[in-house]
Amino acid sequence: MAQYYPGTSQIAQNRRNFSDPDYELEKLRDISDEGVVKILGHRAPGEEYKSVHPPLDEMDEPDDIVRELVEPIDGAKAGDRVRYIQFVDSMYFAPAQPYLRSRSYLNRYRGVDAGTLSGRQIIEARERDLEKISKELLETEYFDTARTGIRGKSVHGHSLRLDEDGVMFDMLRRQIFNKATGKVEMVKDQIGKELDEPVVLGEPLDEETLKKKTTIYRIDGEAYKNDKDAVEILHRIHVSRSEGGFCPE
Amino acid sequence: MDIEIFPHRVLGADTTEKLLNGIESLVDVKRTVLQGPRLPPEDPNEDPRYFDRRRITVNGKEIELKVKTGRIFVELSTEETIDEIKVICEQHLPFGFDINIGKYIRDQKTVTDNIKYGDADIPDELIGMTDQSAKLKDRLTFIKKDNEKE
Repeated sequence: MAQYYPGTSQIAQNRRNFSDPDYELEKLRDISDEGVVKILGHRAPGEEYKSVHPPLDEMDEPDDIVRELVEPIDGAKAGDRVRYIQFVDSMYFAPAQPYLRSRSYLNRYRGVDAGTLSGRQIIEARERDLEKISKELLETEYFDTARTGIRGKSVHGHSLRLDEDGVMFDMLRRQIFNKATGKVEMVKDQIGKELDEPVVLGEPLDEETLKKKTTIYRIDGEAYKNDKDAVEILHRIHVSRSEGGFCPE
Repeated sequence: MDIEIFPHRVLGADTTEKLLNGIESLVDVKRTVLQGPRLPPEDPNEDPRYFDRRRITVNGKEIELKVKTGRIFVELSTEETIDEIKVICEQHLPFGFDINIGKYIRDQKTVTDNIKYGDADIPDELIGMTDQSAKLKDRLTFIKKDNEKE
């Protein structure tokens, strides 16, 4: 059995769940395909996919054993462009965080490129595959409407205080809490271009649920130092790396 | 003496308005500074529903709110007023806040002030109320207390 993450805490278990491709993530909300396309902002809903090369079937490719072994993903077969979606996870108990996203993306999806920074995480894939992946990322536990931001540019806010309505600070104000409905709405696409009609993302999770679902160790939640097992493994890796690096022979 | 009110969340215009009205109603409060990320300038093309910048009314005086309130500095003369401010904050900031005592508003002229204003006699209350790159009239509003009103 694959060993994804050490630790006995709930957070460690959540990290293992995300990283395990056989674990089915809980679906928390419904977002239409059209809504996802609008949020991404790469093409207008209903518009044809633009391509960068002819479909693979029509291309005369040299014989190669790897080409026969690896089944291309749909977007690659059709010759789609490579597009992206980028998330910011607030340090105030967001369900996912960048390193975990990368680990789990690479375990769960084929033909993707994941880029990780301290507060943001980007995933790149062929356009039609990206739309499928984005829908899954937005509808499942990966996403909370208030503590996770979809930000293609002006990617900031993960370590800032939350707005008073509990939504992560965003200077472009893409996700807005609608007081009348109690739901968060996406009023701009991920680049900050205003949408004609807001895409309703749904209600934010409450603080208790977030603390149960989070994958972030925090002193006011579950502290890392209290997860003895995880600390022990980290310590072992640290010692082996130091000793191995010091004298590899 | 100065205090810093540090809310655990960044405040919107409505809460800022209520909080400032509470604080400004205290006789002992001399000067108040709002600090936080700047709100984008007014843009006629922007949908007003998604707009955060607006005019707030504090003690009957209209002020254009140019920042999203992150911290509030208040100058007081006695320590007893802090308890009154705590009560006001508890009323308006249910998500929690800290109050720190320290020196937050500068009260001496700097070299930049000397270059900017020359030898002009600036009242003590105006020193430290804005940063060197801004004009006083853009940032400063005088609010008369109820007992000072005619």
